Amino acid sequence: MNIRCAKPDDLMNMQHCNLLCLPENYQMKYYFYHGLSWPQLSYVAEDENGKIVGYVLAKMEEDSEDDPHGHITSLAVKRSHRRLGLAQKLMDQASLSMVECFNAKYVSLHVRKSNRAALNLYTNTLKFTISEIEPKYYADGEDAYAMRRDLATFNSDDPEPKDKEALPEDSEAQLIN
Amino acid sequence: MPSSNPLPPKENALFKRILKCYEQKQYKNGLKFAKQILSNPKYAEHGETLAMKGLTLNCLGRKEEAYDYVRRGLRNDLRSHVCWHVYGLLQRSDKKYDEAIKCYRNALKWEKDNIQILRDLSLLQIQMRDLDGYKDTRYQLFMLRPTQRASWIGFAMAYHLLKDFSTALRILEDFRKTQAQKSNFDYEHSELLLYQNMVLHESGALQEAISHLERYSEQICDKLSILETYGELYLESGRWKESEEIYRKLLLRNPENTKYYKLLQEALRLTDPEEKLKLFEEYRERFPRAQAPQRLPLALATGDTFKTLVDKYLRRGLHKGVPPLFVDLRSLYKDPEKVNIIHNLILQYIDSLKTCGNFAMNESESANEPASALLWALYYMSQHYDFLGDTNKALEAINAAIDHTPTLIELFVTKGRIFKHAGDLVEAYKWMDEAQGLDTADRYINSKCAKYLLRANLVKEAEEKCSKFTREGVTAMENLNEMQCMWFQTECALAYQRMELFGESLKKCHEIDRHFSEIIEDQFDFHTYCMRKMTLRSYVGLLRLEDVLRAHPFYFKAARCAIQVYLRLHDKPLTDDSQQQELNTAPAPLFRTVPRVSRIQQSVFEQQLVFVLKFMLCHSAIVAEAAAIQPD
Repeated sequence: MNIRCAKPDDLMNMQHCNLLCLPENYQMKYYFYHGLSWPQLSYVAEDENGKIVGYVLAKMEEDSEDDPHGHITSLAVKRSHRRLGLAQKLMDQASLSMVECFNAKYVSLHVRKSNRAALNLYTNTLKFTISEIEPKYYADGEDAYAMRRDLATFNSDDPEPKDKEALPEDSEAQLIN
Repeated sequence: MPSSNPLPPKENALFKRILKCYEQKQYKNGLKFAKQILSNPKYAEHGETLAMKGLTLNCLGRKEEAYDYVRRGLRNDLRSHVCWHVYGLLQRSDKKYDEAIKCYRNALKWEKDNIQILRDLSLLQIQMRDLDGYKDTRYQLFMLRPTQRASWIGFAMAYHLLKDFSTALRILEDFRKTQAQKSNFDYEHSELLLYQNMVLHESGALQEAISHLERYSEQICDKLSILETYGELYLESGRWKESEEIYRKLLLRNPENTKYYKLLQEALRLTDPEEKLKLFEEYRERFPRAQAPQRLPLALATGDTFKTLVDKYLRRGLHKGVPPLFVDLRSLYKDPEKVNIIHNLILQYIDSLKTCGNFAMNESESANEPASALLWALYYMSQHYDFLGDTNKALEAINAAIDHTPTLIELFVTKGRIFKHAGDLVEAYKWMDEAQGLDTADRYINSKCAKYLLRANLVKEAEEKCSKFTREGVTAMENLNEMQCMWFQTECALAYQRMELFGESLKKCHEIDRHFSEIIEDQFDFHTYCMRKMTLRSYVGLLRLEDVLRAHPFYFKAARCAIQVYLRLHDKPLTDDSQQQELNTAPAPLFRTVPRVSRIQQSVFEQQLVFVLKFMLCHSAIVAEAAAIQPD
């Protein structure tokens, strides 16, 4: 699997992957909005035929008074491609770009309370912590955990931090927003 | 030029308020003010007021009246730029862009320096790819507003799109000189510099592009783009040593980018497979957790080297329990020698896992592998046999795996797929449904299940399956259409085609065609947005994508289906009976409105042609593009 920054040509195929995998869907224009506002922040994982098997769609939260920070709009890896560590690799690349291009201090995301697998990925593998609970965040009435990962020490000099070696790799999951 | 029928001060003030209401979307108030003017018999036929009333009505969804008023207004004041502009806006809102352009041009005849009209015109021109027209309009805007950033950018971009690189670069450089970096994270400035570099690069001025990057890289925050651009520029100019350095840096950032390895090999001038394998070995040691340097050599290696490498790769995957192991290795199956090696290894693993718990006999005294290793080996073997077309052995292996672990969803998915490949579509969806039942919260399995139902022509059941993940309150069909879920609609169209429900099939094809029109429409707002955001490289990427949008495989599939259906209807027109039958079994709106055979036939040709043409236009654009970038 190849991991690279998403181009405008990828956005339609990301939408397709999203529709296959996740309950939260968006029209093409929303993908364009991401790709044309923050072209550095979205990444794709593709197979040898160039098919998208996973993606992260990300943005910056710019209008808040808060520190500049990134936000993960959507992250998915096809079930047929789980446990290759793709979600983590996608997230790490996106996070690095957030820091470099936009001086992001942290990255945030929402996850369904019931999505144990995703919660496990964010907490244990990616070192996110729960910042608050947003009641009835999802259209079907489910609560969301708002989560954050500090990016203060995030940089490209050490792409494979040693403390990650011991982490389980089987915690990969889908989900978000 | 002022209106031929100017209003006195009081009415003129009212008219200004109509304009304001329109801008602020207070349409009801706008109509009130219009009424105040028009109720005065002296101004009952005042052109500009009538036109504005029409435009306001249009925003309230009263389209027919809108056209009446706007046209009446225009007739009463043919020399008013306002009336022409309004008529243009009305047509634009109806997506009649060619007509709208004509109106704007008429408006400009009477008021040639009107910024708003020029801007509106330029947007339509870029949307319609009238690049020469766009260039002229951007020139005028530039001359009228030379202090605005967008004036420079739009002006330069027009030349860039026309491939007049030297003019584009002159404008960009003059503009850059007026710009200073505001802070360490001046993203817009950084994007401007990268766009300037992109134009330099496309113009073929490699050396200038390199010096440009060297000079400004401090001011560019997109570090990845800097490196990737350096890499390309150095490679293209044959500066191998420098490009090697760059690709090594890039791999440090992202050791999972397969293209970087390929380009690094190019930079190192490696041609011998042995040398390439050595390079991967180096990276395997450096990034023991990275997948790419382990997987990529498998395509390269042969014979015993391949055997050693793939043995290690398989053992690692089976030990850890990596479900996509087969999917990952599938592309190696092009080579019969490799298939054979893998085949023997898998048989050996299963054999010795069963007898001594290891991947090979006599490897160790005690069993070293987890019990799950056998499961994953059986799982691999079933996919292996399925790919080779040996249904019986594939089923045997998957059943053994299910006996081993009856709760693993992937096993049922594979069992369903084996039946699908063997042509038993009913048994296929049954097993997929079994898998789906084991994890109802997973949409991927749900989607696969729906797809299998559609392959078995069970459209209703598929829709119901999907409805578990679509918005409540609307039908799944509607929601999936709203969300532009094209895979589902295409599979529906094909199912209807097989069932000879041609009206329904065409309906789905046309829904997909409409998504593509929408996606082309989506560009509109980005013409102004990207100039403000300065994300010009991506914007150019968007324009180029949209130029060939209908070459996308989704469109190809839908167009092929529609063309086949239209041809079938032409070759063998529906009789009244068969139409009636279709109406009875599944109401088909397309036929309800076109009840007579002869009329169907007439539209058949036209529709067919539209699909073929739209598709071919995109393809010829791609072919032309490919020809242009082909080296001599």
